[in-house]
Amino acid sequence: MFTTIYPQLIGLCTGALLLTSALMVWRHSLLASIRLLSVQGVALAALVAVIGVEEGEVEVILVSVLVLLVKGVALPWVLARETHATTRTDEAPRLNPTAALLTVALLTILSYVVASRLLAGDTSVSAHAAPIGLAMVLIGFLLLITRRQAGSQLIGFLVLDNGIATVAFLTSGGVPLFLELGISLDVLLVVVILYVFAGRMRTKFGNTEIDQLRKLHD
Amino acid sequence: MTALEAGLLGQLLLLVLAVAAALLTPTRWRSRVSGTVCTLLATAGVVTGAIALSGGTGSLTIPTALPLDPLVLSPDKLGGLVMIVVSAVGALAALFGIGSARVASASRTAWLSMAVFLFGMQLVPAATDVVSFLLLWEIMTLGSTALLLAHHATRGTVASALVWYSAMSQLSFFFVLAGFAMLAGLAGGTGFDLLATVDPFSWQASVAFLLLLLGFGGKAELVPLHVWVPRVLPEAPGHVAAAMSGAMVNIGVYGALLVFVRMLPNGPAWWGVLIMALGGVSALYGILQASVASNLKVLLAYSTTENMGLVFLGLGASVLLRADNATAAADAALVAALLLMLSHAAFKSTLFLGAGAVARAAGEMNLDRLGGLGSRMPWTAGAFGAAAMGAAALPVTSGFVAEWMLLQALIHGSRVDGEVVSVAASVAMPLAVAVIALTAGLALLTFVKAYGIAFLARPRSPQAEQAREVPVIMRIPLVIGALLVVGLGLLPGPLAVAIGGAVGPEFTPDVRIIGLAGVDARGIDAVLDPTTFVVLAGLLLAPVLIAVFVSARRHPTRISPLPWAGGGSRLRPRMQYTATSYAEPLVRVFDDVLRPSRDVEVTHVGESRYLVERVHVEQTVSDVVETRLYRPVLNLLQRFGILARRAQNGSIHRYLSYSFVALLSVLIVVSL
Repeated sequence: MFTTIYPQLIGLCTGALLLTSALMVWRHSLLASIRLLSVQGVALAALVAVIGVEEGEVEVILVSVLVLLVKGVALPWVLARETHATTRTDEAPRLNPTAALLTVALLTILSYVVASRLLAGDTSVSAHAAPIGLAMVLIGFLLLITRRQAGSQLIGFLVLDNGIATVAFLTSGGVPLFLELGISLDVLLVVVILYVFAGRMRTKFGNTEIDQLRKLHD
Repeated sequence: MTALEAGLLGQLLLLVLAVAAALLTPTRWRSRVSGTVCTLLATAGVVTGAIALSGGTGSLTIPTALPLDPLVLSPDKLGGLVMIVVSAVGALAALFGIGSARVASASRTAWLSMAVFLFGMQLVPAATDVVSFLLLWEIMTLGSTALLLAHHATRGTVASALVWYSAMSQLSFFFVLAGFAMLAGLAGGTGFDLLATVDPFSWQASVAFLLLLLGFGGKAELVPLHVWVPRVLPEAPGHVAAAMSGAMVNIGVYGALLVFVRMLPNGPAWWGVLIMALGGVSALYGILQASVASNLKVLLAYSTTENMGLVFLGLGASVLLRADNATAAADAALVAALLLMLSHAAFKSTLFLGAGAVARAAGEMNLDRLGGLGSRMPWTAGAFGAAAMGAAALPVTSGFVAEWMLLQALIHGSRVDGEVVSVAASVAMPLAVAVIALTAGLALLTFVKAYGIAFLARPRSPQAEQAREVPVIMRIPLVIGALLVVGLGLLPGPLAVAIGGAVGPEFTPDVRIIGLAGVDARGIDAVLDPTTFVVLAGLLLAPVLIAVFVSARRHPTRISPLPWAGGGSRLRPRMQYTATSYAEPLVRVFDDVLRPSRDVEVTHVGESRYLVERVHVEQTVSDVVETRLYRPVLNLLQRFGILARRAQNGSIHRYLSYSFVALLSVLIVVSL
């Protein structure tokens, strides 16, 4: 029963991941992006859970709970809290939405081409879905270089991190619990530090446009 | 555990102690406590070196966290000799520092980096493979850089001097690294004993030779890598300058010895010619610049370039003569080079310590504003005078013995049993003799100027007039240094024998002790016994001197006014020679090389063309190598730097785009 719907579940989860990433490029509002990030975290957790059930490993299911807590709940909550606290400024990205979505399409194609070379011969379901992870990495990078606000940059970084996690889970069946715990804590720490940093920026310059950061000061 | 191992371990422990002392002691006691521990650290180096030189064995293995072999420290005899020299200078410098270090040079950073610097320097000769050699070399360099950096806050010029120093020391590190990498690639390992198996006639060995020569030459302050010296040493306080110029340069020489004595002892003849040329040019250029310098520390700094040039001249002669099978003369040249290194360490550290004492007493390093310090600072003047005699290579000092031996080797070198050994040798040797003769003459002039203008005559400025002798703790190292200069000159025999034992087994110089600690270099039929000479001269001169003193007592001296003073003594300090005017004839003779720039400013009285109110003359001698070689290169680099700044404009987005484009290109290349 489960084996028959397994490929479809994998497809559903990875599709949700790609869709949320693309929507994040399209939407400019910071709050909308945070909600999308939360959905993406849940999708990632679901993906991990599906893989765990398929392989029958309790440890991977535990990891999926951890992913749900950190990426689906904790990180979006931290981000949203900070954003609510301040006056909302919408993003004015360096690329207009049409061009951005076109770039997303090109990047996705590129990642499929690359993956077909790298994973040639591997016919498993998860290997088929791996290019989505690569595409998410590239989309996260795209967000990093096109967004001006520190908060949006952070979201780009988190999408990139989700992409790496997706590739890891799909190609090697996940990482050990301890490693995942370490990585999650790392990401959480980075987000907290960056948010403190963004707060400092706001008190210093009145906004968080990172174009202001051009010179080194003592 | 053998004595040698205990010595090495003791140095390691004393380093820890010195670091703790520098960090923990309060400001009031810091110089005394840290200086004492640093002196002990250096003394431990002397003892360890002596054990190694006398044939002690043993090794200290330090495991590392790096994926490399553990560091093995085990000095051989040659390493022991160099360790003694650098540690002895380090001990004098640290002892002097107890009294002289004030404000910035007594800070935590300064004493901490002093300890690290001394430690690195002492243990470089103990390294047995390339990795530990380079590691200790870098510890030494970083220690000295931080030591200079401690003075950054007080003087603005330190920063630019430090940039030069860092750039040049990294450049020479790069050359050494590349040279060793070349040899290690050929030998298949990094141990020094493995590198000795490389064939010196392969082209890779020649490339490695060139790189290593440049790298070690840079540390030994040879032209054209000397440009940092006249900038850095004047900024350093006396004891730091003494440790750098008296000890650190010897590490450069040690590196060269490692290559030409231990690893590639039988290189082709053109190596020797090249080393001789580099040494000869450095010697001449260094002493020329020194002779016209009016800043005492700049003068001493350039004199280091000269002496190291002579050392490399001796080394080069040794390599060339060995290639031509004139082994006896080659060995004698090597011993002479090492003798010169030893004597230079003694007199240059004393001179720099003396300069430090003068700087403390008069607060002035410009010779044109000094004078009359001899009667005000008799101890400093005596020690500086003895060391200046050594630097001018006058008899009964160590400098004389070394240069005499070098000249003997060069003169006897080009012929074996009356036959000319090779065309290269018969051209190079007379040229080298001429270079040494000219250098010796100019050195005499330079140090007559340095001593005469600074210590004799009348003070040329109020600061010099108010100078007082330095405290006892600073006089002790000065006196020890001066005694070493004379002592090494009186005992050339045991010294040469020790050096002869140290360079073996590849080189076996035939030197013996003769008479009262005299030296007998049998290979080249040269004998020198200064102690006997001094004793005999004393016996002969004693009756004459006694007669002179007795007659002088009977006839009291009459003080008559000077004939040219117009009947009265209206001599003013400004009527004396200054350092600039003393060197003026030299500047004229070597005008084309030195290219001085003169600035004469005449202020007339009112409208008159003939009455002059004031004349201001200023002469500056710039370093030709710097203006002609480094400036164009630096300007070119700066142009590229401006271009690079456009790509590196500080925007985070731009940097992220660079990595994104790089990632994409990698992916595209993979998928093609």
